[in-house]
Amino acid sequence: MIEKAPTRIPVKLHRNVALVLTEDALLAEELLAHKKLAADIVGRLSDRVLLVRAGRVDAVVQELRRLGHTPSVL
Amino acid sequence: MTIGTNERWTFHLRHTLKRYDDALLRQVAHKLCKPRNQWPVAELLDRIVSAFDNLAMVDRRLKEMPSACRRLLSLIAQSRQPRWPVGSLVEILTALGAADGLAPLLTLLESGLLLPELYPFGEKPPEDKHTGRGRLRDFSVWLGRSEPMPMVLASPVVTRRVLREDLGIECPSVTMPPNSAVHEGDGLDWPLRMAVLWQQALGTPLRRTQQGGFFKRDSDRLEAEPLLSGVPTDVLAEVPDPGFFAAALALASGLLRSEQAELRAGDFPSAWSNALPALLGNFWAALPHLSGWNPATGQAPLATPGNPYPSACLLAMALLARLPEKAWADPVVIEQIVGSRHPYWQGKPSSPTGIASFLLGIAYSLRLVQATKSDAGWLVRLSPLGCWALGLSDQPPTAPQFKQTLLVQPNLEMLAYRQGLTPSLIASMSKIATWKGLGPACTLQLEPSSVYRALEMGESLSSIVQLLESHGMKALPTAVLDSLRTWSNKRERISVYAAGAIFEFASAADMTEAIARGLPANRLTDRLAIVARENDIDYKHFRLTGTRDYTLPPERCVDVEPDGVTLSVDLARSDLLLETELLRFATPIDQTGSPGKRYFQLTPVSVLAARQHGLSLTNLQTWFVQRTGLPITSAAALLTTGPDAPPAQLRRLLVLRVDSDALADGLQQWPATRDLIAERLGPTALVVAEENVALLLTRLAELGLNVEPEPV
Repeated sequence: MIEKAPTRIPVKLHRNVALVLTEDALLAEELLAHKKLAADIVGRLSDRVLLVRAGRVDAVVQELRRLGHTPSVL
Repeated sequence: MTIGTNERWTFHLRHTLKRYDDALLRQVAHKLCKPRNQWPVAELLDRIVSAFDNLAMVDRRLKEMPSACRRLLSLIAQSRQPRWPVGSLVEILTALGAADGLAPLLTLLESGLLLPELYPFGEKPPEDKHTGRGRLRDFSVWLGRSEPMPMVLASPVVTRRVLREDLGIECPSVTMPPNSAVHEGDGLDWPLRMAVLWQQALGTPLRRTQQGGFFKRDSDRLEAEPLLSGVPTDVLAEVPDPGFFAAALALASGLLRSEQAELRAGDFPSAWSNALPALLGNFWAALPHLSGWNPATGQAPLATPGNPYPSACLLAMALLARLPEKAWADPVVIEQIVGSRHPYWQGKPSSPTGIASFLLGIAYSLRLVQATKSDAGWLVRLSPLGCWALGLSDQPPTAPQFKQTLLVQPNLEMLAYRQGLTPSLIASMSKIATWKGLGPACTLQLEPSSVYRALEMGESLSSIVQLLESHGMKALPTAVLDSLRTWSNKRERISVYAAGAIFEFASAADMTEAIARGLPANRLTDRLAIVARENDIDYKHFRLTGTRDYTLPPERCVDVEPDGVTLSVDLARSDLLLETELLRFATPIDQTGSPGKRYFQLTPVSVLAARQHGLSLTNLQTWFVQRTGLPITSAAALLTTGPDAPPAQLRRLLVLRVDSDALADGLQQWPATRDLIAERLGPTALVVAEENVALLLTRLAELGLNVEPEPV
């Protein structure tokens, strides 16, 4: 008997998204409190997920490092 | 060896031949393969390429060549470097006694045994250079080019066939003094310095001037940084400007890469994963491409396009290769021979060639030569590694391995005993710790920044611990383990996705199902999950309902319902930002409508909250134009500006409604009634003040206009 192939899952794909994912909401708030960082954050998908302005991810990583964080850049 | 694989060579050969003019290609084919018939060009090209697989044919052609040609190819083979500037090859030919340095080169090019470099070797061929006038027609014209200096390529298949060709030069030998010891370097000095340089360039790239020198800040670093500029422990003669030599060698061997006038640290090249002899062989092959440094004067920004030192150093090593077994040579005598034969130094007897310094400094510290002390000074000969590097023996020498060579101390300092260091260990250590001292026992420091650097380069806590434990002479101290764990965990607190792919699912169940099917995603919300690299996605499980590129400008994807406050989002066209924008001033609502739509509504509460977070009417106006393509609706504007408007007035009015707007116009214009009309509400509706009613009725009666009384 031929096994039926599983149905494809409908999904919408967002490519080339730059975002910062923090361990907890408090850390996200802490990052947003920094004026320079906040200027490059354009939205918040959840309490831990901050959307980075397109083309500004390097500046955000640099600023995070300057603030003493050690972000994992994926 | 820096030469590529056979496939790379064949690919380059084919694409270079495609850039030959047809007549030139026929000429080369005639000399190399000697075809008996008139073959089409494509067929000839295939025959030339396959000729390099026919060693008997290659040997026949080499035998037909003048001896100068074979000697040149032999020296190229000994250099292990298939890519040479024409100027250096002319110098070699002249030093070997050829009357005309260019003629043998021309012969080799015409016979197909040398290849002009028409585009960079190892790179993808450019698309537009092999048609019409861009084709190569004449080798002599091409050889006459001066800027950039023409480069030629020699196939290792060809050069290896004449490796032991008699060069027509001899090296005066000296017998070994009795009871004298043979000295040989450990070959680690330059790999270690280059690792230090790599770490420094990773933090701050080296900047170069247009003349090829370094900017003052970087020049000072190379000159004054103790780990780079200190006198090498393993040399018999001074190496001038060792920091600059390390930088030049790192660039030539691919550890540093040139990017827009900067030297940046690249990944450790694959040669670093081999044993030390292979890495040193790789450095030997890179020496002809050193720029900005020479053994006579040290750092030397190139004033002229030519550089005599690669050919001079190769000749010196080739002279040593001519020595009988167990014989030694005086480096000063070799310097004199090279100086007297090399065209650059002919007529300049006082100008130093730096050859003795090269042999006792660079070649000795790279383990290419051995040395012994005589009454007159040091004597040298090729080491077993040098013989292998020059192709005179088949196998590189092996050395005993000492795997346990690290001592990690509780204060996070590490000692690395030199005899156990290998290129791959040096590379790994350079990623996870900072070099602090080079010597018989090198010192390194584990630091948060160095561990973070290693993690960023793909290492993990377990791989770092495994490296330290497998090479450690003692168990890893608990304090070190704890520090490594703390630093690694800190890195996990913030993840930055530079260009991730977000999957937006219709429901949380769909997302769970996708992850169960192996989607390597990280959950962001109940319907959103991110994948760091799009290549990791197996699309066979998914049906894409829409695709949006985050880097593109926002798109119009919102329709406004007739009520002016309900917004319907076209899910196929919406982007991630839209939802975050909408949630600032609108509330999601459950509304059945067209499939593929999601509804939001502006409410006084949602707009008030947005206003309290800084949303202005201008922001909302811009948003409406950007996302709906229409100006802001009156209802939305009302919700936004309502709280700021002056108080409204609620009162009763007496309205005179007339039959036509012409009548209303007349009443507003006729002086007898004009002052009795308080306001016009519409085309036919006029407001009359209570106290003017009686007079207005009188005036209207005068006009003969009847007024019906207000129904009671």
